[in-house]
Amino acid sequence: MRAVGIVGVGHTKFGRFTGSFLDMAASAAKEALDDAGVRPVTGHGIDQVFLASMGAGQVNKISGAASALVDTLNLRPAMAETVENGPASGASAVKLGYMAIASGLCDTVLVVGAEQMRVISGWEATDFVATMSHPEAEYPYGLTLPAFAGMFTRLYMDKYGVTEKDLAIVGVKNHENAMHNPVAHIKLVPNLYAITEDEDANVINPYVAEPLRVYHTCPVSDGAAALVLTALDSGREFNHKPVRIAGVGQATDTHVVAERREPTELFAVKESARRAYEMAGIGPEDIDVAELHDAFQILEIAESEEVGFFPKGTGHLAAREGKTRVDGEKPINTSGGLKAKGHPVGATGVSQVVEIVRQLRGEAGGRQVKGAKTGLTVNFGGFGNNVVSIVLTTRERG
Amino acid sequence: MYAYKCDACGELHHPKHFVCRKCGGTDFTETPLEGEATVLTWTKVYNLPEGYMKPYLCFVIARFDNGLTVSGQINSEQPVTGQRVKAVVGVVKEGVGRDFYGFIFEPAQSVA
Ligand SMILES: [Zn+2]
Repeated sequence: MRAVGIVGVGHTKFGRFTGSFLDMAASAAKEALDDAGVRPVTGHGIDQVFLASMGAGQVNKISGAASALVDTLNLRPAMAETVENGPASGASAVKLGYMAIASGLCDTVLVVGAEQMRVISGWEATDFVATMSHPEAEYPYGLTLPAFAGMFTRLYMDKYGVTEKDLAIVGVKNHENAMHNPVAHIKLVPNLYAITEDEDANVINPYVAEPLRVYHTCPVSDGAAALVLTALDSGREFNHKPVRIAGVGQATDTHVVAERREPTELFAVKESARRAYEMAGIGPEDIDVAELHDAFQILEIAESEEVGFFPKGTGHLAAREGKTRVDGEKPINTSGGLKAKGHPVGATGVSQVVEIVRQLRGEAGGRQVKGAKTGLTVNFGGFGNNVVSIVLTTRERG
Repeated sequence: MYAYKCDACGELHHPKHFVCRKCGGTDFTETPLEGEATVLTWTKVYNLPEGYMKPYLCFVIARFDNGLTVSGQINSEQPVTGQRVKAVVGVVKEGVGRDFYGFIFEPAQSVA
């Protein structure tokens, strides 16, 4: 297979986007094309566009959105597809971009992830996200992603002694990181004491889905992120030295959460990361920085174990000890994560890769991990039923 | 509500699967799912999606004595992990012209 690298990144400010869905996707795309040094209209050399979105059709009423994006960017006659894989849509689109180039079908591909959810009410957004659960055994009950996360958190608390304060520690760390990320949605750092021990903590930080509280879950965000991928042997010149996609892994698990034999394990996270490491010829010890899908803070803890950073049941202890901070031994979610950078679902997997590219280029400013050369992203679909992991590196091919 | 029992190996499934997870069999017999179960975990949700006219709702993942594990609603203000519950089938969501039925657990009377 041909080696594939990333030569351009783009990212809108996450939060509320007041323009159209298409404007938002195109803004991120244009920034990535400019960053790479690709000039649309004449000789742009973009062979394929993948646009990831979970709700373009369902929420924004735009089907086949990639066709509209290609045209507004004047990238015709490039091939175009819209990719929907729940909250893992973004990383799935990156994977498809990788496959398109590695196979020899394409030389240069534009990957965009975009989601605009703030155009509907919070109840409607919760319902929209819940449509990814099982259509008979879960969705009609009113079960939502926060409900599954709440039940998963309780299992983790009972089995491993994770506390509400541990979840808050992870959340506060991610908010601190987001203060150094210009594109992050939330720019404030909650006070750990106020949201855990203060007499008004129940008011400041109420339950969403017991035992999960507001500061243990991500916000609803709009946003878009984009990447330019190219074959390392294409001979084309770009503005940046490529960051190589060294490994791509994906795995599925039971669609129905209750059917899992071991309810505290996230099999698809473990297996997708294992496949990505194997393809890259590395192990978890080689990862310098990681973006893990923390839609709920328990997921950052559990994923940090499943990807092999810490032994099972000790992720919360590592967080307590500061090991996952920017200056720790395994920095996680330097971007602010889904918790503070925001979670426009279909954009998230692309946004995670943008952050790792910035880290590996040394462009991460106040959140820069010194000397970072290899990074990992984990993009979590459903409640762990479809997960995509990606390894990126600036090291030479081993 | 039914469990789907594989005719070849007896493995129970819920919801329905087209291929048995254990042996690859493709023929199943419907078996009524009732009786008591044990609560493995629970949550009380305050931000219910569109369509549920309630301030909050409690959910559980519960394991039937035959080993089958399902999600459901529970009629209880304060469920407890390990609690014995009884499965009742009821309307879990009122739809337009069509109601949705599913498991609504209730605390069991018997002492476990
Ligand atoms: Zn069977």
